[in-house]
Amino acid sequence: MNTSGAATAVAAAPFTAWLAPVADVLPGTGLGWLDAERGAALARVRAAGVPTSKQERWRYTGLKPLLEQAFVQGDEDVTALDPDDVEDLLIPGLDAHRVVLANGRLVPSLSWVDGLPDGVRAGGLRTILETEPELLHGRLGRVAGEGAHVFAALNTAGMDDGFVLLLDAGATVERPIEIVHLSLGMDEPRLAQPRHLVDLGEGASVTLIERYVSLGESLYCTNSVLELSLAARAELTHYRVQEESPKAFHLAGVYLSQAAGSRYHGVSVGLGAAWSRTDLVAGFVGEGAECDLDGLYLAGDGQLMDFHLDVRHDVPGCTSREGFKGILYGQARAVFDGRVYVARNAQKTDAQLSNRNLLLSRSAEVDTKPQLEILADDVKCSHGTTVGQLDPGSLFYLRSRGIPLNQARRMLCVGFAGEVLDALGLEPLRDYVAEQVGRRLESAPLD
Amino acid sequence: MLSVKGLKANVGAKEILKGLDLEVGSGEIHAIMGPNGSGKSTFAHVLSGREGYEVTGGTVLFEGQDLLGLEPEERAHRGLFLAFQYPVELPGVNNTYFLKAALNAIRTARGEAELDAVAFMRLMKQKLKVLHLDDSLLKRPVNFGFSGGEKKRNEIFQMALLEPKLAILDETDSGLDIDALRIVADGVNTLRSPERSMIVVTHYQRLLDYIEPDFVHVLANGRIVRSGGKDLALELEEKGYGWIAAEEAA
Repeated sequence: MNTSGAATAVAAAPFTAWLAPVADVLPGTGLGWLDAERGAALARVRAAGVPTSKQERWRYTGLKPLLEQAFVQGDEDVTALDPDDVEDLLIPGLDAHRVVLANGRLVPSLSWVDGLPDGVRAGGLRTILETEPELLHGRLGRVAGEGAHVFAALNTAGMDDGFVLLLDAGATVERPIEIVHLSLGMDEPRLAQPRHLVDLGEGASVTLIERYVSLGESLYCTNSVLELSLAARAELTHYRVQEESPKAFHLAGVYLSQAAGSRYHGVSVGLGAAWSRTDLVAGFVGEGAECDLDGLYLAGDGQLMDFHLDVRHDVPGCTSREGFKGILYGQARAVFDGRVYVARNAQKTDAQLSNRNLLLSRSAEVDTKPQLEILADDVKCSHGTTVGQLDPGSLFYLRSRGIPLNQARRMLCVGFAGEVLDALGLEPLRDYVAEQVGRRLESAPLD
Repeated sequence: MLSVKGLKANVGAKEILKGLDLEVGSGEIHAIMGPNGSGKSTFAHVLSGREGYEVTGGTVLFEGQDLLGLEPEERAHRGLFLAFQYPVELPGVNNTYFLKAALNAIRTARGEAELDAVAFMRLMKQKLKVLHLDDSLLKRPVNFGFSGGEKKRNEIFQMALLEPKLAILDETDSGLDIDALRIVADGVNTLRSPERSMIVVTHYQRLLDYIEPDFVHVLANGRIVRSGGKDLALELEEKGYGWIAAEEAA
C-alpha cells in the first residue's frame, strides 16, 4: 500500500464523521480488549476508505446517495415509545419472545425475554458490556472481524447496543426469539448500528426472527451486524425481514461460522428501504455441516436492493444451498452476487446456488452474478440464474376465470415467491410476508 | 345466448376464421368438429378473449351484448367459461386459493358478497360430491404435476364452481384415456341444465358418445360448412372429413 495516510483518512472521512458524536461515550470504553477491537476496526475503516465502483463488491451498487447524507450515530435512548406504537408493527399471531430496539438502542419496557430455560443468556449488548463484559471477550468480533467489509468495521468501531444471545451446550429455546429493530425519524438523519451476537454451544438450538421496521417514512441509515457462531451440532433457524422506511438506507452483515455437524437455515426477505445492501457471509470450520440460505427480494420504483452471499467451504463434507428469488417492478434495481468458494481440501462438498428473477417492467434491472470457485476435485456443485417475465399464458388462464389482471399478476408473483415463502416455517410469519408482498405489488405500475 | 355472425380473425398475418356464423340458444349443446387447422381452437380462444388473435370482421353477441370488446375477465364475469385443451400449470399458486379468488372475483363483479372461507369450503364440498370427485386436487398448486386426466377434471370442477352460462370445452378429450374421458364426460353431463349452454370443440366423434350434442357443426377452412343433428357426427366418423371438403370444392 502506497497510499498516504492523509489521503485515506480523507477518503474515509464521511464514515468516521458519522461516529464522531459517540466516539468517547461508547459502552465498555476503557476495557482493553474492547478498545483494541474498536480501534482496530476504526483503523480498517480508515485504511479501506470509501468503496468505489472499481471494487468488485461494489461494482453495481453506487454509494453516492449514501455519502450525500450527513448521518450521525445517536447517543440517546428513545424514551417516548409506548406499546401502542409498536402494536401495529407486530406480526399477527406470532408467538415469540420479543426484543425491541429503537434507533439502535434496546428498549427494556418493550422487550420480554424472560422465562428462558437454564443455560440461556439473553440481554442487551450495552448492559452486558457495562455489567459482565468478560462474557463477550473473545466472542464479540470473532466472526465479523478482519476481512469483513468496511461497513462491518464501521459497525464494530461504533458498537453501542444490540441483542446478545448465548446458549450453553444442549440448551434449546422452544419459542422463537424475535428482534424488532424500529427506526424513528429524528431532527437530523440518524445512523443506527445495532450489533447482535448469537452464540450456540454444542447441540444447542433456537429460532431467531430479525426484523427491521420503521415508524413513519423518514430518512435514516441502519448499519447492522449479526454474528452467528454455531458449535458442533448446533441448529439455528434464522428469518430476517427488512421493511425499512421507503427513504431509508439499510446495510446489513450477517456473519456465520459453523462447526462440525451444525445446521443453519436462513431466509432473508428484502422489502423496504430506498437503498439496501445485505451481506450474508458463511464459513464452515467443521465437517458435515449444512447451510441453507434462502431469500426473496421485492424491489419497486426507485429502490435498489443488493444481496451479496459468500459461502466458504474450507473443510470437507459440508452442504450449502443458496436459493434467492427476486421480483422487480417500476424502475427498480437489484444486485445478486452469490459466491461459493470450495478449498482444495474441501472434498465431498455439496453446493447449489440459484437466483431467479421476475421483471414486471421494462425499466427494472437486475445484475445477477453467481460464482463458483472450486479448487477441490470431488465435489457436487451447481449454479443457475434466470431472469424472466410473467408468462402470458398463465395470466390469461387466471383472467379467463374472472380474476382481474392486477390480481392475476399478484397471484403469479406470490406463486413465484412461493418456495421462499414456504421456507418461512412459521405460519404467521409466512402469511405476514406473503401479505406484505401482495400489498406492495398492489401499487406496482402496469407496463 | 350466443350469436356469432361473419366472424373473421387472424393469427399474425394469416386469416384463420373466414366468416363464421353460429347461433347457440339457452341450454343447448353444440359440437364443433373439424379437421386439424380448421380454426376450432382459434374460435374458442377468440370467444374467450385470448391475446394474439386479431378480429378483422363480424360480430359476437352474448346475451345481446357485444363480447369482443371485453377483457377476458369481464367475459368470465358475464358467464363465459373456457375449459382449456392444455390447462396451465401454476406452481406456487394453491388450487383452493385460486378457486376462491376466481369465484369471489366473479361474485364481486356481479355485485354479490364475497364468500368467506367457511361458506366457500361448504360450497366446494357440495360441488365435489355432485361430481363424485375427491379433494386431493385442491391442496396442490393449480394443475402443477397433475396428470392429463386430473387437469381436465380440475377444469370441469372449476366449471361446476363458477356456474357459467356458456361453457366452451376446447378439445377436452385430447390426451385422455377412455376411463378419464368417461369421468370428465359424466361431469359435463351433470352440469347440463336449461340455463347452461355448451360448445364442445372436438376432433373426434368419440367424445360425443358420452356428451350428446343437440347440434353438430363442421368447421372447415374457417367457416361452418355443415350443420345438423348428432347423426352428422356419426357420418363424419364413418366417412372422415374428406367428403365435406370434396363437396365444398365442388
